[in-house]
Amino acid sequence: MVVNRPRHARRQGCEVGTRPDEPRTDEDLLGEVAAGDRGALRQLYERHAPWLVLRLSRRCADPGLVEEVIQDTFVGVWKGAKRYRGQGEVAAWIWGIGIRRLIDRLRRHPAPIPVAAQSREVMTSAEDQVLLGVEFGDLGAALNRLSPELRAVMQATVLDGLTTKEAGRLLGIPQGTVKTRLMRARAELREVLA
Amino acid sequence: MTTTWHADTALLTRYASGELDQARAYSLEAHLLACDTCRAGVAAVSDHAQLDRMWAEVAEAVDAPRTGVVERGLVRLGVSDHVARLLAATPSLRLSWLGAEALALGFAVVAANSAITERGRSLGTFLFLVVAALLPVGGVAAAYGPGLDPTYEVSLASPMRSFGLLMTRAAAVLGTSTVLAGVAALSLPGMGWTTVAWLLPSLGLTLASLALATRVRPLVAAGSVTFAWAAVSVILAHASHDRFEIFRGGGQAAFLVIIALSTIVIARRREAFEQGVRE
Repeated sequence: MVVNRPRHARRQGCEVGTRPDEPRTDEDLLGEVAAGDRGALRQLYERHAPWLVLRLSRRCADPGLVEEVIQDTFVGVWKGAKRYRGQGEVAAWIWGIGIRRLIDRLRRHPAPIPVAAQSREVMTSAEDQVLLGVEFGDLGAALNRLSPELRAVMQATVLDGLTTKEAGRLLGIPQGTVKTRLMRARAELREVLA
Repeated sequence: MTTTWHADTALLTRYASGELDQARAYSLEAHLLACDTCRAGVAAVSDHAQLDRMWAEVAEAVDAPRTGVVERGLVRLGVSDHVARLLAATPSLRLSWLGAEALALGFAVVAANSAITERGRSLGTFLFLVVAALLPVGGVAAAYGPGLDPTYEVSLASPMRSFGLLMTRAAAVLGTSTVLAGVAALSLPGMGWTTVAWLLPSLGLTLASLALATRVRPLVAAGSVTFAWAAVSVILAHASHDRFEIFRGGGQAAFLVIIALSTIVIARRREAFEQGVRE
């Protein structure tokens, strides 16, 4: 893993009095979007659409559906920019919109199976296992060893910040199943790490 | 918060192609939420043709004019959006027009209900029937043609046939004014056959004015029909012992004939609506 030294100290929203030629922060852009500036929306899109596409694609196997969700999300950002009250990262706020739009779409067209739920096992090489052990301790290896079903509920609830109800809709399984799988996943991880 | 760890291009490329194992993908995804440097790295390895295509859709949705309540309601009911737009632009489907209709009906209903004598009540009911039958005539006349329709020029130039548009709007206007009059009729004194006696006349008068509009300007057609209706109903009410003569069996039968004849005329002369309604 290469550690890139940033050329300049990273700016994190809290900086005030930036020079005019400095790139604007996400919070600034969102404020301008709220005031009806389409150029600002375009900039936000260029910054956030790429990772959002990849992250949603890991949760929905239908590329056409992901495209629709991206469009929904940024139209949602345009309309809902006023509702952002500076709570947390703009990226996290956008993710919250995106994942919920995906759930809405999946509820209407429940056909596509989320990638995570398919048993598309990525073989981890011995070398990678060692690296994982170095980076994350045993947790990384343990996570990778979880069955795809258990991993999918861990991903939806722990990483994506969904409620068990929303996770159930995303994965197309009942809420109760989400809860039992989550308990099993926790128990397995605890066993490995104990 | 300052992060010194950043994902390198190799890691981002593996993530973008879906080859990264779950644990590392999770940690990268969590990191991306908080790191704009790495987000820029993801953007660098992304499919820009796809991103541009999606942006075009976003821009189109953002630039689209805000649709009104009526239009959104129609779309939700399953009406296709271009028909909804044309219906919502119909002058006689606007709230002001519907309000005026409700006022006219309300006046007649109040007249019928507040009259002290039996004769007064029957006069009010008669007034209500005459007005209720006329409502859609004016509404349909205002729904097309130059002068009143703000989309007149647009619809002339549109690929949709003017006749189809006219029929759609006429049906919508007829529907709304029928509902209005139907509701108002419920508050007439002495529920009976009078509550529905205006239905056939209103359909007959509307079709007659449309048939006439294939020859003369829409407003002239509607005006002539209105005048003829008022004259005939009043004269007949005076000439016979029964004020409601025109609404009884004979009158209703006559309207069936008018409906049939007008339908034939409209169907045979519908091309007259295509070159633009007569100026």
